Amino acid sequence: MDFLITVLEQGLIYGIMALGVYITYKILDFPDLSVDGTFPFGAAVTATLLKFGVNPYLTLLISFAAGLVAGICTGLIHVKFKVRDLLSGIIVMTGLYTINMYIAGTNNVPLFSVNTIFRNDMLTGIFGDKIPQWVDIVVILVIVIICKLLLDLYLKTQSGYLLRAVGDNDMIVTSLAKDKGNVKILGLAIANGLVALSGSVFAQQSRVFDISMGTGALVIGLASVIIGFSFFKKLSFVKTTTAVIVGSIFYKACVALALKVAGAEATKLITAVLFLVILVVSLDRKKKVKINA
Amino acid sequence: MLELKHIHKYYNSGTINEMCLFDDFNMNIEDGQFVAVVGSNGSGKTTLLNLICGSIDLDSGSVLIDGKDIGREKEFKRNQYIGRVYQNPAMGTCPNMTIAENMSLADNKGKMYGLRPGKNKARMEFYRESLKQLGLGLEDKMNVKVGVLSGGQRQAMALLMSTMTPIRFLILDEHTAALDPKTAELIMELTDKIVREKNLTTIMVTHNLRYAVEYGNRLVMMHQGKAVIDSAGAEKSTIQIDHILEKFNEISIECGN
Amino acid sequence: MKKKVMAVVLGMSMMAATLAGCGKGGDSGVASGKEKEMYTIGISQFAEHGSLDNCREGFIQGLKEEGLEEGKNLTIKLNNADADMSTANQIASNLAADKVDLICAIATPSAQTAFNAAMEKNIPVIYTAVTNPVEAELATEDGKPVGEVTGTSDELPVEAQLKMIREILPDAKTIGILYTTSEANSVYSIEKYEELADKYGFKIEKAGITNTSEIQLAAADLLGKVDCLTNLTDNTVVSALPTVLGMADEKGIPVFGSEIEQVRIGCLAAEGIEYVQLGIETGKMAAKVLKGEAKASDMKYELVTESSLYVNDKVAENLGITVPDTMKERAVESFDQIVEKK
Repeated sequence: MDFLITVLEQGLIYGIMALGVYITYKILDFPDLSVDGTFPFGAAVTATLLKFGVNPYLTLLISFAAGLVAGICTGLIHVKFKVRDLLSGIIVMTGLYTINMYIAGTNNVPLFSVNTIFRNDMLTGIFGDKIPQWVDIVVILVIVIICKLLLDLYLKTQSGYLLRAVGDNDMIVTSLAKDKGNVKILGLAIANGLVALSGSVFAQQSRVFDISMGTGALVIGLASVIIGFSFFKKLSFVKTTTAVIVGSIFYKACVALALKVAGAEATKLITAVLFLVILVVSLDRKKKVKINA
Repeated sequence: MLELKHIHKYYNSGTINEMCLFDDFNMNIEDGQFVAVVGSNGSGKTTLLNLICGSIDLDSGSVLIDGKDIGREKEFKRNQYIGRVYQNPAMGTCPNMTIAENMSLADNKGKMYGLRPGKNKARMEFYRESLKQLGLGLEDKMNVKVGVLSGGQRQAMALLMSTMTPIRFLILDEHTAALDPKTAELIMELTDKIVREKNLTTIMVTHNLRYAVEYGNRLVMMHQGKAVIDSAGAEKSTIQIDHILEKFNEISIECGN
Repeated sequence: MKKKVMAVVLGMSMMAATLAGCGKGGDSGVASGKEKEMYTIGISQFAEHGSLDNCREGFIQGLKEEGLEEGKNLTIKLNNADADMSTANQIASNLAADKVDLICAIATPSAQTAFNAAMEKNIPVIYTAVTNPVEAELATEDGKPVGEVTGTSDELPVEAQLKMIREILPDAKTIGILYTTSEANSVYSIEKYEELADKYGFKIEKAGITNTSEIQLAAADLLGKVDCLTNLTDNTVVSALPTVLGMADEKGIPVFGSEIEQVRIGCLAAEGIEYVQLGIETGKMAAKVLKGEAKASDMKYELVTESSLYVNDKVAENLGITVPDTMKERAVESFDQIVEKK
């Protein structure tokens, strides 16, 4: 049971990031590599703020805002300086490494002795000194659901429509007398905001900021989006945002399972195989649906 | 009124397709005119549209709308006054959005795209009514993604969407060329109807000489960056397709096509 | 459609709540005084790396010396995070969920994630190869653990190293150090070096890198400015050490190591700590905790105070440097050849 909760917790935290990656990769059609920098960016900002005694829940908002700024940078570099999409992401990711180090002051900030969104005076007030374990997953779940619902709502606004249009067919945005560059920047901002928020939650849950925590973040995000999409493609009642979050949980389940059965040696290979199995299984079902139709 | 003054446009790459350039090109389009533009490949007709819309930059010269020079404005800004339908039906709509979403998106042109609901529920009946007039049954598919519609259906929608809000000019860029003859006919009739109803000043580039003769009240034939035929009003109404074809063959032979 | 989405969301949250509820009941089976027949421990190693591997082997040996032998009365779940933070976190959570009797964490990020995952389940964590447990918030300033977590530190014997370099190179002025900016241990060691360099009349030139690909550029730059190089236990730099050694060799600049393996593959000398020994000490601490003889929270973390000298005579000969006889005698181990790799 504990094993499943762990997977769920990790999957949901990374699910927030996957929502961000979903915006860039699926909606904007923009391979945004800055994610590897903005994930620890959110964590670094959070670590520093927590050390200063800032309310942990407020750090979530501030990390989101920090991520927005990073996303705007990627967008400006791409749109205004006409740097290719991949390269703009790489530039921001590279720059953020130093900025993260600067913000955190060092490469590793433990957060055992500060209040977090999971351990703080308010929760102690409600549950007493020993905060039950299920509080963790509830807190994460609440944050994930808020993010998901807000994103769903946003995508239904006029501005959200324009965002979807720019990835779908950017000529339309131009013909609506809107600057498609600005719309892209907006999308990158929101996406990186979510990624930084996810980094913030991750740092508070694992109670440590480490400069290396962003390595491979984009890969996890992409895998989550793709798993989510291929698995739920035919189930039209599942919203894409839900699919992406569930995809992230699946991905984490793969990794956890691989670690459990593999021991030290073959973890990565087993993860890869599990990943492949999920994709093939979902592809297989798609084919069957076609035959039935 | 749209005025093109002393337009110069040179292509540096110098390939065969791009050898045509404008050298001091001038043209005025009066309000209410429906101009059909014909000409062989590379005669400059699409370039002309692109210069008006700002898709490509002018080397020199000016594009005036009601006396105001918009020749240096960015493409998206010029689109405040312009509606454009492209040759490729996929270009005028968002394939992954539903019909209702596409209509709402287009209906908001010229206003802020803020945090109000994207789907304009109050106008839904109006959208349905407009779609009904197309006679394609789209009014019953409001929640269907546009990507699954046929080329003709999409082009009809693109036409509707680009003329939904008040615009000064309608630009039609070979908008029937990618459709089968029957659908092309339908879209052309639709175009004529909308242009008449809204009294739109229209520039239509077409490869179909018959459309050029049948529709519109002014006909221009382009060749090597110049208007070799330009007849309007009564003169245009007497023009015969044979005459155009003759001229067309003449210039084609000249080019060696 | 909305209803269905809500149903999914509700279902998920209900499942989560149920799962959490189930998990709450069983507090882990920490050894409480009486000995158990069979122990299960988890090892969370942060990366595959010579000295960390030595630590792990020593740890298992230490347990064995205390009568806990794998296969007999001990099951070991071994995990390696491949230097990935999110994997380290997952490993720690897995081990905690499995309710192992004890987690052995090798290197700082593993120790932090293990402590975080284990603290609420009352699973003791024994760490090793954590350079600075105080800065990692695993111990307080006076060395006391912050919870059921203790172990051994592999803080480099920086002073002994500086003294040794001065003995071998009486005229050297500048020492160059390559390190990875993301490795906490390295950053801490650099600070130590800078603090103590003056005392022995040295100046420290450091070059920080972020990954292996930058090492050649940084090394080339550094080699132009220094009289010798000294090495930390930096994971990234150590893995690319042969490259650095090759470049230094061309310029005739001596490179000092930080542990036995580095001297074996071509560093001139090192005042280092024995990682296997460190692991054995750690294993013995773990055995005490497992047997219920002591609580982790009552044991201060331990430092290896004695450093051992290793010399490579072949390298000295190649560079034309004479190592004083007194040092040769003092050396715990001398090599007369350069081994490519262990």
